Amino acid sequence: MNSNRRVLLFVVYSVVIYLMVSILGTLFHVQWMPFKRINLISDIVTKDSTDVSDTLRDNTNGIVIEKKAHEDFNLYLRPRYITSFNTDSTEPSLRNFMQKLYDLKTGKKRKIRIAYFGDSMIEGDLLTQTLRKLLQEAFGGSGVGFVPITSQVSKFRQSVTADYSGGWADENFKTSNGGRLYLSGHLFRGNGDWVMMSDHTVTDSLAVIEKSIICGPASGPVNISVNNATFTLHADHGLNRIPLVIDGSRQIRMSVAAPQLPVYGISFETASGIFVDNFSFRGITGIEYAKIDSAFMTQIAENNPYDLIVFQYGVNLLFRPNDRNFNWYARALMPIVKKFRNCFPASDFLLVSTADRAFRYGGEYKSAVGIDSLIKIQATLAYETGSCFYNQFASMGGTNSIVDWAQRNPSLANKDYVHPNHRGAEVLGDYLFRSMMSEFEKYKRTLK
Amino acid sequence: MPAFDLQAFLEQFKYDPANPLLFNNGFFVFFFALFMGLYYYFRNNYPVRRYIFCFFSLYFFYKASGFFVIFVIISAIVDFVLSNAIYRQQDARKKKLLLLASIIFNLGLLFYFKYTNFFIATWNGMTGAHYNPLNILLPVGISFYTFENLSYTVDVYRGHFEPAKKFSDYLLFLSFFPKLVMGPIVRAHDFVPQINQPVAITDQDFTKGFYLILSGLFKKLIISDYITLNFVNYIFDDPSRYTGLENLFAVYGYAVVIYCDFSGYSDVAIGIAKWLGFTIPPNFTSPYQSKNITEFWRRWHISLSSWLRDYLYIPLGGNRSGSFATWLFSGLFFVGILFAGVNLLHFSWLASIALSAGILLLFILPSIINKEKAGIATNMNLLTTMLLGGFWHGASWNFIIWGAMHGVSLAVHKIWMMLTGKRLAKIGDSKLYNILAALLTFHFVCFCWIFFKCASFTDADNMIHQILHDFSFSVWGAFYGNYKIVLWMIGIAFILHLIPDDAADKVIARFHKVPLIAYMTIFFLFVLLYGFFKSAEPVMPIYLQF
Repeated sequence: MNSNRRVLLFVVYSVVIYLMVSILGTLFHVQWMPFKRINLISDIVTKDSTDVSDTLRDNTNGIVIEKKAHEDFNLYLRPRYITSFNTDSTEPSLRNFMQKLYDLKTGKKRKIRIAYFGDSMIEGDLLTQTLRKLLQEAFGGSGVGFVPITSQVSKFRQSVTADYSGGWADENFKTSNGGRLYLSGHLFRGNGDWVMMSDHTVTDSLAVIEKSIICGPASGPVNISVNNATFTLHADHGLNRIPLVIDGSRQIRMSVAAPQLPVYGISFETASGIFVDNFSFRGITGIEYAKIDSAFMTQIAENNPYDLIVFQYGVNLLFRPNDRNFNWYARALMPIVKKFRNCFPASDFLLVSTADRAFRYGGEYKSAVGIDSLIKIQATLAYETGSCFYNQFASMGGTNSIVDWAQRNPSLANKDYVHPNHRGAEVLGDYLFRSMMSEFEKYKRTLK
Repeated sequence: MPAFDLQAFLEQFKYDPANPLLFNNGFFVFFFALFMGLYYYFRNNYPVRRYIFCFFSLYFFYKASGFFVIFVIISAIVDFVLSNAIYRQQDARKKKLLLLASIIFNLGLLFYFKYTNFFIATWNGMTGAHYNPLNILLPVGISFYTFENLSYTVDVYRGHFEPAKKFSDYLLFLSFFPKLVMGPIVRAHDFVPQINQPVAITDQDFTKGFYLILSGLFKKLIISDYITLNFVNYIFDDPSRYTGLENLFAVYGYAVVIYCDFSGYSDVAIGIAKWLGFTIPPNFTSPYQSKNITEFWRRWHISLSSWLRDYLYIPLGGNRSGSFATWLFSGLFFVGILFAGVNLLHFSWLASIALSAGILLLFILPSIINKEKAGIATNMNLLTTMLLGGFWHGASWNFIIWGAMHGVSLAVHKIWMMLTGKRLAKIGDSKLYNILAALLTFHFVCFCWIFFKCASFTDADNMIHQILHDFSFSVWGAFYGNYKIVLWMIGIAFILHLIPDDAADKVIARFHKVPLIAYMTIFFLFVLLYGFFKSAEPVMPIYLQF
């Protein structure tokens, strides 16, 4: 039986009904999402004004920004620029840090240490490995800095290879409320456990690298094994930085059979130069640092001081596509920033905003609707605590830049539309480095 | 009040790179309805019907890929002229030269667009040179229509087929819009004779076409798209961020995605063709039901594997002898294994030589046992075919590795059959044996998909590392909680896949004159389901820890 007509009738009837329903749905403003997604004529009618709810956009009204003389809050919007909100654009941001850089550059032997805090965005030494490399090229120094004993990404971290036994007990932000967690958010205890690390960042073949253990206190001397020889530790301080081996090797093997000793990690540094410690902990927003005792933090500042503290969080606040109100975050993070500032008085403080992240809205990836509010909140935190601010979101290109990065070929970001990949992280590290350099140039001009 | 936007309406007719035409665009609905109307109205006027068909096909192509449509037209002209010249030419040498011209033209086009940057990168890697990659975009469907062109001129050369006399016949064969973007690879001798035939669609054809179109769209637009966007993409993009459990399920998920995407597109193409009175043979027949890898290749992308058999494997020498290309590519393969062993797998040179020799032994062992020389050539021809077949899928080493793994596994299966064929004859029929064999085959295929899908060897290596070394079921609860819908969809897809292939045909055969309204109800239910999944809240990746 010939069904030629049947094919035609099916197509014509279906399309006519489909079109009618689409037109009626448009005329009567049907807002049901599954219908809107399949509306045949949505592309050829003017947009429905009820769609736009821009009035909800800015949710930061609850936060009052105190006006200060010679300061302009809106400087936070500037891309690739470290701002202290000072309207005088010749005045360098991070002044103390710049002065230390200048000392190093002009031949003074000293260590400058940066603690770079972040979430999964800097996991595996992403961004920080670029920043470290560029800074060390410009100001000297070799070594990857602090490396935690174990980590989920140790196999993939390119700047260090770490191999370790399976028995290390790991207390961390997710499992413990203890105040003795280190800045990495971890505390390890070894019971006959070993770790072996090699630093791949050292390019200077003559560099003499100090390999130091970073550990907590232990009553009385503790014997550990370093490169298969016994080493007696005197961990008398609340936080100890004890050199284990100082030589040309970039590798160390350490075993610990003393569970009473809180072990945090191993640090690779030359005697002088600039070092960047990567403190990444996935899934956090920074408020976890409330758990660490201020007394302990002060001890860290005394025995393993930092000259610049960088705080880069935010992406984990954007875990729901429609969140727009982050005022609570300002309230929660404010005391923590203040705590860091009090405990590390010699350190400058830089708040780095979240990078772009996108969600699918109506089938299309776009920047999270709340991202502008969040960045404003983060800038407010910097402004109110007298810290400097760097807008990572604007630096990478602003609205929808993560979409562009993920869809480029070769891509600069993962298809989760959250994480820049190693290529993207290199770009971000480079931007931040250049922004630091332009402040450094300003500083040098102030000396003339 | 929404109003008609003339500007936006006119824009719809232009190619939009951000929104290329596919079966799921609103534009396609109108395009298809208008085309069906005209096709029906002129169904008995063959030339007009043909011109309309060509015009709509080329326009579809323009809407899908912009001005790359020029290449379809140019290659249609070139191959039409060459094939007729080959057909008329009596002199065997000149005939061969003409064929050579066609091969160089078609492969040259494909190579330029698809492989230039690959070879630049490989050259840079080998010599330390720094040639910049060229800014080349890959024209949509070029891999498919190049192969169709080649099969056509080769068939004419072999005398299997009289070339199309009218240019529009050939152009229609090449540009036939349902299969233009993702196949199946249609053969001219199947297709061209159907062009100027009366349209006679039976009731069964209508039902079968409806079934193929709808099930194809379901596979592609609902199952494949949802799993890709909400799960598979996250994991494959950076496997090291996720646990072994997530990685393992991403591989299973991708097995569903690639099958549903590819076979779904083919089914829609075959279904639309059916509604227009054309029969195109099936392209996938439940490949994951295969009980061995040889069977898998008889069920997976059939139009490609049969093309490779007829136009690559047989010209190489088939199961009779080897040719220069056979020994060249096989030689390169074994040298490649040597270097891959050292550089990718971090073997010592000695271990790498042993690996290479071991694989070589796999290929020559059957011939030594059976004392027949042709067997070696057969195996090497098969290997060469799989290597080049892998490379056809994309310009990267991972596709070559993927092809090589399948090539080696075909040889392994051959030896297995030879060694156990008689002894296992009884067990071979048992259900348990078949289930185990199918599971093993499926898992091997999945393992190979890791290389197929990962952007680099490092990613593939990381993924395998995570599955082997970072695996714990303790995260199952959180994993299931987050990806519930995705996991159910993967499960349902596999269950649907287990339904025997002829089940649909058997059911369709029982249908007699179901009222149109029933079909329309099913269609609109599908559209709603599509809208539902399109607007569903996206599933976001989470961090699992154990």
